[in-house]
Amino acid sequence: MNTRRLEEIRPKIKALEAMPAVPTIVQPLTSMLRLPPEEVDMERVVELVSYDSTIAAQCLRMANSPLFGRRDTETVRSAVLALGLKRVEAILLGCCLSRIVPADKWAFDAATFWRHSLGCALVSSKMAKLIGYPDPEKAYLAGLLHDLGILVNMIACTEDFRACLQAARDGRVALHRCEEEHLGFTHCQSGKILAEHWNFSADVIAAIEFHHHIVPESAARPLVSLVYLSDSLCRLRDLGYGYYEAMGVDLAGDAAWTALVEHYPALAKVDLARLTMDIDGAMEEIVAIVDAVFSPGQPAAE
Amino acid sequence: MGIGTAKPVTQSDATDLRDPAYLKIRDVIYQVSGIYQPEEKLYLLASRCAGRMGAVNAKTPAEYLEHLTVRANREAELRLLLNEITIGETYMFRSPAQLEALRRVILPQILEAKSALGFKRLHLWSAGCSTGEEAYTLSMFLREESEAMLKGWTVDILATDLNDHSLTVAKAGIYGEYALRSTTELLRRKYFKPHDDKRLQVTDPLKSLIRFERVNLRDDSKMTFFKGMDIIFCCNVLIYFDLNSKRKVMQHFYSNLLPGGYLFLGHAESLYQVDDRFHLVHFPGAIGYWKPPVGYTGGGKP
Repeated sequence: MNTRRLEEIRPKIKALEAMPAVPTIVQPLTSMLRLPPEEVDMERVVELVSYDSTIAAQCLRMANSPLFGRRDTETVRSAVLALGLKRVEAILLGCCLSRIVPADKWAFDAATFWRHSLGCALVSSKMAKLIGYPDPEKAYLAGLLHDLGILVNMIACTEDFRACLQAARDGRVALHRCEEEHLGFTHCQSGKILAEHWNFSADVIAAIEFHHHIVPESAARPLVSLVYLSDSLCRLRDLGYGYYEAMGVDLAGDAAWTALVEHYPALAKVDLARLTMDIDGAMEEIVAIVDAVFSPGQPAAE
Repeated sequence: MGIGTAKPVTQSDATDLRDPAYLKIRDVIYQVSGIYQPEEKLYLLASRCAGRMGAVNAKTPAEYLEHLTVRANREAELRLLLNEITIGETYMFRSPAQLEALRRVILPQILEAKSALGFKRLHLWSAGCSTGEEAYTLSMFLREESEAMLKGWTVDILATDLNDHSLTVAKAGIYGEYALRSTTELLRRKYFKPHDDKRLQVTDPLKSLIRFERVNLRDDSKMTFFKGMDIIFCCNVLIYFDLNSKRKVMQHFYSNLLPGGYLFLGHAESLYQVDDRFHLVHFPGAIGYWKPPVGYTGGGKP
């Protein structure tokens, strides 16, 4: 890692919070997302959604989409109820975080980015439940936020990041490899800086920092491994960064898998082929949710 | 290769998908055939069941489940349902993700390993080739690569089936629009000649790579003859075998494959609890089963 280069952009990352586009609801939202569903106050969610007219409109649009049977939802409250907490959270967080990236700095379309993030969130929480990981909600959150550093890189080193993405596309290789080569650091490290600055919990920060490199033994290792595996699975099931990554992965032979099996032996019995087909099955909904927030082809939500 | 797509089905056609009996029917099918349907695609399964439910006069999915599990003719009924499910499955270029994995990941890997040993021969096997669509697809694929990646290599395809009628059709190589619906105009012009108004016939360059042979995959003495395979395709064939036969066939495939070779199944099929020597390897949009070389100890990447 090129530490000097990373230090150079550190002030840029910290300045992000001062940007007028960053909604004040990011903080209450991320702490709310950490709660188990039964403890979340629906009134508070409705309040957060109503706070922002664009987000409210997107929830209504989503609730009225064919996926939810076109139920003529007119109020924010009924839209939130129709969509359910998980989907509303995804819309909220997607909208909020997308706004930190100005439209002209997106290196690829926002919908592709959020499909990957939401896919990873859903797969992480599904896998968490399958293996008996005690906090599937946290797995969901860590999955949703794991690529925060990509947003950071788009803002802090726009052109260099574009070049990385292009090189990754051309070579059909993993994006973080090209970041290492072209930037000297990856979205894992830059994401960590913003996540620390925003006071995310230590294990979510670890998931952001290590989702491409498994950490040595630590309390966060199971969560990191979950996100690592979910990220790989999503990239392998057409929920990646929108290009063909030429890879063949023996997930069960991977260090992340081995690390997770040590903590959760039930993983060894997970039917990986079936899990993969479930992800394919869930894709339609992921795409529908994300497209309700970002019309395909649009750089970011207005 | 999973649920057929011959008849268009929409979600509104289906009966009450919330009926838990459909999940149970799904699980019975998975146990018996290894074909899996994610929850989001249950409407396809429901529509296939609907036809059979009418035929046996079952009023509810729960009643039909009894036909599949406790009635005296359950095995025959299951066979009929499986036929419904896999109907209309074969056409050329049915699994582009498998071919892409072959082109981008697997062949470069295998060619490199074999070149290092001074071998310049490649053997593919379409096991259960039915009317030949898969074998000719592979033949086109190899021909297309013959001036690129495969320059200087000798390649051949073994195509076997139990059914004499299917083999006769396969050898004749005459196909209509359904079989050719995913074959580009360019490839049609290059590798086919007109047969009659509606059909095309494969030309000799495609045929010459393929050896058709009648083989029963359960015939132990015969199965030992096909050593030295690099890649085996066996799509929607195992569904017709019971667990013991499946295990035997897998043993043969495993010992017939060279170390580092791959087995591909239909895209909704899984080997879970059938064979644990093969490593499940993920490619973008496809799953393959890998026979690791001697000394492989994990590490994620084949």
